[in-house]
Amino acid sequence: MNNLSRRSFVSFALASTSLLAMPAISTGSARPKVVVVGGGAGGATAARYIAKDSKGAIDVTLIEASKQYYTCFYSNLYLGGFREYDSIGHSYDNLSANHGVNVVHDWAISVDSSARKVRLGSGATVSYDRLVLSPGIDIKYDSINGYSVEAQTKMPHAWKSGTQVKVLRDQVLNMPKGGTFAMVPPPNPYRCPPGPYERISMVAHILKERNPTAKIVVVDPKNKFSKQGLFMAGWEKHYPGMVEWIDNDTHGGIKNVNPETMEIETDIDTFKADVACVVPAQKAGAIAMNAGVTDGDWSPIIPASMQTRADSNIYVLGDASVASSMPKSGFSANSQAKVAANHIRGELTGSKVFAAKFSNTCWSLVATNDGIKVGANYKAGEEKIEAVEKFVSKTDENNAKRKKTYEESIGWYNGITTDMFS
Amino acid sequence: MVKIVFKFFAVVSYLLIFRVLLAEPLLDGADFDYGEYLSGQCVTCHQSSSDKGIPAINGAEALYIAKRLVLYKNKELENEVMQLVASALDKEEIASLAIYFNSLEK
Repeated sequence: MNNLSRRSFVSFALASTSLLAMPAISTGSARPKVVVVGGGAGGATAARYIAKDSKGAIDVTLIEASKQYYTCFYSNLYLGGFREYDSIGHSYDNLSANHGVNVVHDWAISVDSSARKVRLGSGATVSYDRLVLSPGIDIKYDSINGYSVEAQTKMPHAWKSGTQVKVLRDQVLNMPKGGTFAMVPPPNPYRCPPGPYERISMVAHILKERNPTAKIVVVDPKNKFSKQGLFMAGWEKHYPGMVEWIDNDTHGGIKNVNPETMEIETDIDTFKADVACVVPAQKAGAIAMNAGVTDGDWSPIIPASMQTRADSNIYVLGDASVASSMPKSGFSANSQAKVAANHIRGELTGSKVFAAKFSNTCWSLVATNDGIKVGANYKAGEEKIEAVEKFVSKTDENNAKRKKTYEESIGWYNGITTDMFS
Repeated sequence: MVKIVFKFFAVVSYLLIFRVLLAEPLLDGADFDYGEYLSGQCVTCHQSSSDKGIPAINGAEALYIAKRLVLYKNKELENEVMQLVASALDKEEIASLAIYFNSLEK
């Protein structure tokens, strides 16, 4: 209670000075308002940092439909049996209790950027001085002939964590002996570049233990993929003969999928599966499209601040943005959120804005205690976010090193989820 | 006169002990607020709530943090992620991070 009182006092004091400094941004309320849409790695981090670092001087509202958020990162480890489902679920309670974030569990339906208002599913509107959109991805169901919303129970994409990953895990556990698991990874650009190949590793891990004569066929719309050498060496080492990866040039292109017959038809062959994970092409979440800040499927941003090129009051973080050279990952979104939070705080309260620095590391698990990683740091260029230095795990690393990398990824999971939700 | 000589020695001793012998160039140019901003990059992984896989660094000695970062920057300590992080930090940034993390409760 003492803390709350102190925070209220500080917020009053700071709000007063900020209004004196920047009267133009006042919308009639005592404090400048930031609305954040989407409570994932970008949105939850942005809401938390803006509220925490402004010490109450900024009124922060987070709009997120789910009460319990299941992380997409580590959902593959749940699939492989390395994590309990509950362990990847997180609540937003601490964001309101510890930092005064107003968490609204609803969908953001539309943005009126001239009136600076967001309309919610309930019909209510929330006004903003700055809007942060971090909606993640939407699936382009029509990007694969034969795929649809209805098809996703038979051929789950399971690319947004949550219940679909549970469905997929049940299907893999109950696959007929000696059956075939088919994976159709998405075309570039997509959320979590190494994700499909970690997923294949996790399915192989289950099948090796429970169904060792089963096969995995990967019908890829690409000719190469993230950490390819590391994954392929890992499959050969841990699951010899089980995984067949077929590139686009070899199969000639995916023509059609049929959820009824569980067939994947390509230019030169048709693959019949017992269980199939089909991940279509992706685009920015609908609210980014609706807000008019996208160009094509994604939202172009100004690298120094993460403001959209279309509207300087609107920031887009994470998967929905064109943040190349950064990959679409939770780590990237978390990193971008801090740059945006610092910039927004500077704009609304006059606090010092420091130069943007970004980083990303993607850890993947190939088998028990066999972790690999790829990472880079980045700076804000004029046109794009530019990679400065990079690394990737080496194929000849010993077991101890790989185990350490896996343990490091557990530390990272605990770290980033604390950074988002505490 | 004695008093003045004593004062003189006191000042010289102070300068000698605190400004020369104990001065730590590794922490020169530290800026607390900048350290707080830069720490955002660290706390994606380093949290006091967990020490598993990645060490907690809150409340660590400033000089220890600065020395470790310099060793990572020079690639004299292993770990690709830390080498990458440190490679992007200049001397003032290392100092700023060191005093910021030192100020946090363990």
